[in-house]
Amino acid sequence: MVKRLFALGLLTVFAGLFASLLSGYVPDAELNPSARYYAERTAPDLGAANLVTAIIVTYRGLDTLGEVTVLFLAAAIVGLVLGSGRGIHRPRPDGRPAHDPHSRHSAPPPDRSAADRANAGRPDEAPSSAHPPVGELLTTGSHLLAPLILLLGVYVFANGHLTPGGGFQGGAILASATLLLLLAQPGRQFSHRLISALESLAGLLFVVIGLLGLALAGGFLDNRILPLGTLGELFSAGAIPLISTLIGLKVGAEFSSILASLSETRHYPALRVQADADTESAAQTRNQPADHADGEQP
Amino acid sequence: MPNPILLIAVALGTAFLLGLLEERRRRLAWAISLAALAFLSWVPATWLLALATGQAAPVEILTAGAPPPFAINLRLGLAEAALTLLVNLTGLLTTLYLKDRLLDLGRRAMAVLLVAVMALDGLILTRDLFNLFVFVELTAIATAGLLLLSDDARALAAGFKYLMVAQFISVLLLIGILFAYHAGGTLNLDGLAGAPSVLGAGQGWILEAGGGFAFLLMFVALVAELKPFPANGWALDIYESAHPAFAALFAAASGTAALFAVDKLLTIGGSEWLGAATAIGLATFLIAHLCALPQDNDRRLLGYSSVAQTGLVLVGIGQRDLLGDRYFFVAFGLLAAHAVAKAGLYWLSGLMAERGLSAWAALRGQPWLILAFASFLALLTGLPPFPGFYAKWELIHHLAGADRLAPLGLILLGTLIEAGYLFRWFGYVIKRPPPASAPLPCPIHQALPILVALVGAWGLGWLWGELSGQTQLLLTWPLAFALLFLLLEWLPSWVKNTLAIAGLLAFFAATYDYYDPLRLIFALIFLVGGAIILLAGYATSGQRTGFYPSALLMYAGLAILVLAEDSFQFFAAWELLTIGSYFLILRGQAAEPHALSYLLFSLGGAFLLLTGFALAAQGAPQLALADLGGVPASLSGWVFVLLAIGFMTKTAALGLHVWLPGAHAEAETDVSPMVSGILLKAGLFGLFLLLMHLGRQQLYGIELTHVILWIGALTALFGNLLAAFQEDAKRLLAWSSIGQMGYALFGLALMNHLGWLMALMFVINHYIYKSMLFLSLGGVAKRTGTRDMYRMGGLITLMPLSFIAVLIGIIAISGVPPLSGFGGRWIFYNAILDTEARLPLVILFFAGPIAFLYLFRLIHTVFLGQLKDEHRRVREAPFWILLPQMLFVALLIAFALVPGVALRQVDGYIARFFPDGGLTWDGLSIVSHYGYWNPVSIMLIIGVIFMVVFAWLLFVNRRAQKVKQFNIAFAAERPYRPETTHFAWNFFAPYRKALGFLTLPLATRFWDTLADLLHAAGDLGRRLYTGNGQTYAFHFLAFASGLILWGLGVRP
Amino acid sequence: MPNLTQIALATGFGLILIGFYGALTRRSLLRIILAFTLASTGVNVVIVAIGYMRGRTAPILDEAVTTTTAVGRIIDPLPQALVLTAIVIGLGVTALMLAHAYRLFLRHGTLDIAAFRELKW
Repeated sequence: MVKRLFALGLLTVFAGLFASLLSGYVPDAELNPSARYYAERTAPDLGAANLVTAIIVTYRGLDTLGEVTVLFLAAAIVGLVLGSGRGIHRPRPDGRPAHDPHSRHSAPPPDRSAADRANAGRPDEAPSSAHPPVGELLTTGSHLLAPLILLLGVYVFANGHLTPGGGFQGGAILASATLLLLLAQPGRQFSHRLISALESLAGLLFVVIGLLGLALAGGFLDNRILPLGTLGELFSAGAIPLISTLIGLKVGAEFSSILASLSETRHYPALRVQADADTESAAQTRNQPADHADGEQP
Repeated sequence: MPNPILLIAVALGTAFLLGLLEERRRRLAWAISLAALAFLSWVPATWLLALATGQAAPVEILTAGAPPPFAINLRLGLAEAALTLLVNLTGLLTTLYLKDRLLDLGRRAMAVLLVAVMALDGLILTRDLFNLFVFVELTAIATAGLLLLSDDARALAAGFKYLMVAQFISVLLLIGILFAYHAGGTLNLDGLAGAPSVLGAGQGWILEAGGGFAFLLMFVALVAELKPFPANGWALDIYESAHPAFAALFAAASGTAALFAVDKLLTIGGSEWLGAATAIGLATFLIAHLCALPQDNDRRLLGYSSVAQTGLVLVGIGQRDLLGDRYFFVAFGLLAAHAVAKAGLYWLSGLMAERGLSAWAALRGQPWLILAFASFLALLTGLPPFPGFYAKWELIHHLAGADRLAPLGLILLGTLIEAGYLFRWFGYVIKRPPPASAPLPCPIHQALPILVALVGAWGLGWLWGELSGQTQLLLTWPLAFALLFLLLEWLPSWVKNTLAIAGLLAFFAATYDYYDPLRLIFALIFLVGGAIILLAGYATSGQRTGFYPSALLMYAGLAILVLAEDSFQFFAAWELLTIGSYFLILRGQAAEPHALSYLLFSLGGAFLLLTGFALAAQGAPQLALADLGGVPASLSGWVFVLLAIGFMTKTAALGLHVWLPGAHAEAETDVSPMVSGILLKAGLFGLFLLLMHLGRQQLYGIELTHVILWIGALTALFGNLLAAFQEDAKRLLAWSSIGQMGYALFGLALMNHLGWLMALMFVINHYIYKSMLFLSLGGVAKRTGTRDMYRMGGLITLMPLSFIAVLIGIIAISGVPPLSGFGGRWIFYNAILDTEARLPLVILFFAGPIAFLYLFRLIHTVFLGQLKDEHRRVREAPFWILLPQMLFVALLIAFALVPGVALRQVDGYIARFFPDGGLTWDGLSIVSHYGYWNPVSIMLIIGVIFMVVFAWLLFVNRRAQKVKQFNIAFAAERPYRPETTHFAWNFFAPYRKALGFLTLPLATRFWDTLADLLHAAGDLGRRLYTGNGQTYAFHFLAFASGLILWGLGVRP
Repeated sequence: MPNLTQIALATGFGLILIGFYGALTRRSLLRIILAFTLASTGVNVVIVAIGYMRGRTAPILDEAVTTTTAVGRIIDPLPQALVLTAIVIGLGVTALMLAHAYRLFLRHGTLDIAAFRELKW
């Protein structure tokens, strides 16, 4: 109870701050100078009709590169931690953590390749038995829909400089196809190597195109390394469609990779690990489901 | 010049490229990462060089071919180049250090590391607010990712706690950025800071609706990345559980980038935010240091220290308005010291198998690692000649000049606490038994980063010396000579000893012309006297690792001290001699706690000196010592008090004396005379200078020299009294030193001609006889294996030369004719007849006879009486320990016969300050207006009397016959506590009964209680960090709310 | 009469406060993550609201909105671009928190945040 009161007290301060922000807020009547620049100069300078995409891909391309990197990092880490990564303190079958926290050098498992194969295939845990059966409708539907979704995704990122859309949106749509397939076929194994190669290649090309901008045009990520073309046409706006495509592929691959990694986690039976939970507090709290712990006793 | 955008492009490109490699080609992936990071370090290095030498100007890096406010731009100036170099180099060395672990984890882990480095570079380079946010988030994600890759499974929880705080931060930061954009019309930092741009946005936006709040939110969010108190529990958990190489990266690189981000943000706020930064930094600095006191886990301790150091840099940033063009010098000095030291220490921690602080004793297996450890500690504490020293010197001077005394005091207090726990740790490393496990493994890829940090530490010390505009300490002859011995450690000790003696004498000869008579006496004692004591070093065989660098560091400090012309040189020398002597004292067998208390008192005293000098300099970077008299009257009293207390800490005046008995008694045989006979004089030298330049001072109507007079008298009384009650011969001598320094203090404070002359007599005499006594009793202790006097006895026949030295020594000390002690007394009695301070005079007289009591014991208990059975085969002390003693005997007699050789010059010199009441030198006689003293005739008269009495005694006792020893002591001995049946134990029990109340260890109790209180406060403080992520979230929000409430108050 | 911007801003702020409250008081890691998602959604609403201008259209040029008339007809495109980045970053952080939570559950067998207190003081 005290905790809640305390939380409310602290949040009152924030509420007060937000209230004064809100009460003092005057919406702009005119575009501010930055926005005015984008409105006036984007089309002649960059040749893109969708100003948002132009800003994302070019003017603030560095942000976007960072943002792609965020996803790359998240995918890599989630993959390392949940997927086929090794060397993390994952419990071994014998119930000991793979790495003693105090050992300085973690000796690689002697049969590295064997462990790889076991991790990749995991033949001992029949995946389908762990999931409720999937309906006919979903299976058939997913086969029909997946290609269409992929097509839509490609359309969205390829036309990002003309219509609402762009690399992220298209990539997210691509990944939704992956999600659908995973739902329809829960044990499905995606080729991590393919996904990883796709995302790495797209990322690498993104950087290379950026550097080409440095060499051939006005600076890093300048889109004018290709002809600007005619405003409103598919092949226009210089490198923007190209970068959008790369972003789309990369984001699609990264989301898919995260989804695949997350879906594979089911193969770890949590029960095996409970024996490994070694702290006193964990032993005490284990028996109370956390959700119950949430509601304090009235 | 390579385009700086490559810093980001190459790092990212390599990270993506790694994804194309096959998973099993790990070595290749590792090599590629290493090569990329090497390139990333090379780029800022070339820029740094070009920018520093003026061959290049700072560059704006435009992206997208559009001008800055519209497209994102980066900037690379001197600061950015230096910081990215630091970050990328840390990344490179981390990758190297982590070779095994990374090969085990695979390419994706390397990609995470690369991206982490890239994100930090971006954070430093970017000039766009939202881009800053992107890099902040990238840093957070990379950090959490690296935590997941750490061996320690507890890092998981730490990572989650961090992500929670990071989420709060990102919410606040985003809202702040968007409202700043709304109010200012741009996301460009320079545009928001009011730089002239096409936008015409000015400083005014911050006053507009929402602008101030927007800045407040951004400020809260970015400052929270600096782990401010109390919102820093997550950081401590990370530091404790992350792989030490990652912790090194977080401390050295992430902290650096975050600090620079705050610095950039502050350029768009007004100066009122600097005050907030200062307050946050100070609170963090002090409280984190306090909480580190009770720590025993090395990594968590380093975590607290990192948090505190970041706070200190934030304080530096908060003084931007004050520091002007010296801002980067100060802030970078503090930052670089912290980064290099912390990286090095975390890398060292990675070598340790156990987490306790004492487990680091394993370092003793590899002496160069000890050097590295000591250098890193000195770097953190800001000792010379490291950059933190120069930076703190300037910071303190600016603070004092602007009357910002509260931050000044708190910074020094925090630094003292820090020195306390860091050097306590150093004591463990040197003194505790190393863990039983195998010798410390140190493969080349882990040794190399540590080596680079070590070289970097000294390199930065050199660089900061160049930039400081002060004396380049590393290029001063004495210090360079001392450091040379680090390279000569492989030589046998006799070679090094010869070299050291030659060096001291050569330096004295080379500088002979620079000394005025007063300084000449001190230089003689420090350098020539030091060389004489070093003769005893020939008695030690082997390499004596660590002794010579330490000893010569102390002598270097002393040499620079005498020659110092301005306050900077003086203070640097003071700290050098303090560190050197600390290392020396620590060598003693049971010296660990005593060395620490010595160091803490000395540093505390040094900080008072620093404050005093800074106040006196009034904003100038330093002060010529001769100008000390020019301090305005409103300040001079305070300056006097600060400096006097600082110097009196070194001379162990009453109340500040608790460190001395242990430190002097527990030191090695030939170290005790150095720290007693020589080092104590440094304090007296300081007091001479102080009184010479500032003269009599008053504070609140109290005559300060009068206070010193009282302190001197009481110190003499208590020092002598406690010496009389000691059982340990070296402790007796140590207490006697306290008493002797009391006399000298008294003489100085008399503020007349003869008083000063007497003090100088004490300086010379005390050097000679105390060095001699420590050597001879040290020799005795070495031979008998004990320092307890009641365990000795009857050694006169076995160690006759030692006996002679002690006999001569105590005759000299007690001030009876014919030796020079009498001359001292004679001048002293003349001097006190000139003053009106009657009561302290009585006390001082009372102290005199007590000296007889303890001196009597040295002869009576040690050399006379019954020889103990176990000592029947004891031999005379080694030749090389006896040789200096015999030299001292000769010196004493010579000085007794012709005191004029030394005193006449000085007498004339003192006459400049006190023209009246001097002495007249008439041939061999010395005349004062109360009478005359002819040392030669006195020597003759006493000699004749002695011979007559001796002959008479022989005659009277001619029939005496030797009897067999009657073994009464052993017959009545009890198997336990044999001392209670020994006649010499508690020899002065009756006096103790009468005067025992005076010997209550009140001062010791006071300081112990203070230390306990600090510990208790630290222990209480760290309970705040419960380990619950939600509690940490509360801490963060409480911190943010506090700042917001403060900000609401500031806004007009 | 509050306009649309203010309503949106208030909604965003409200979501943030609700999210914060949840993060401070819920004890299950999953609910805490959910609370943060709520808060970031709130932030995204705020961002979009700041870019909104009454009576204007999307910042995409076509026959209706030409280069010459764009200045008077479109809303500020910048917040629209920023919100996309913010969404993606939020997603990345959420994925990472989930990964942490999963591994914590594996190790401790619980999702109660109070159970992970091996590191303290």
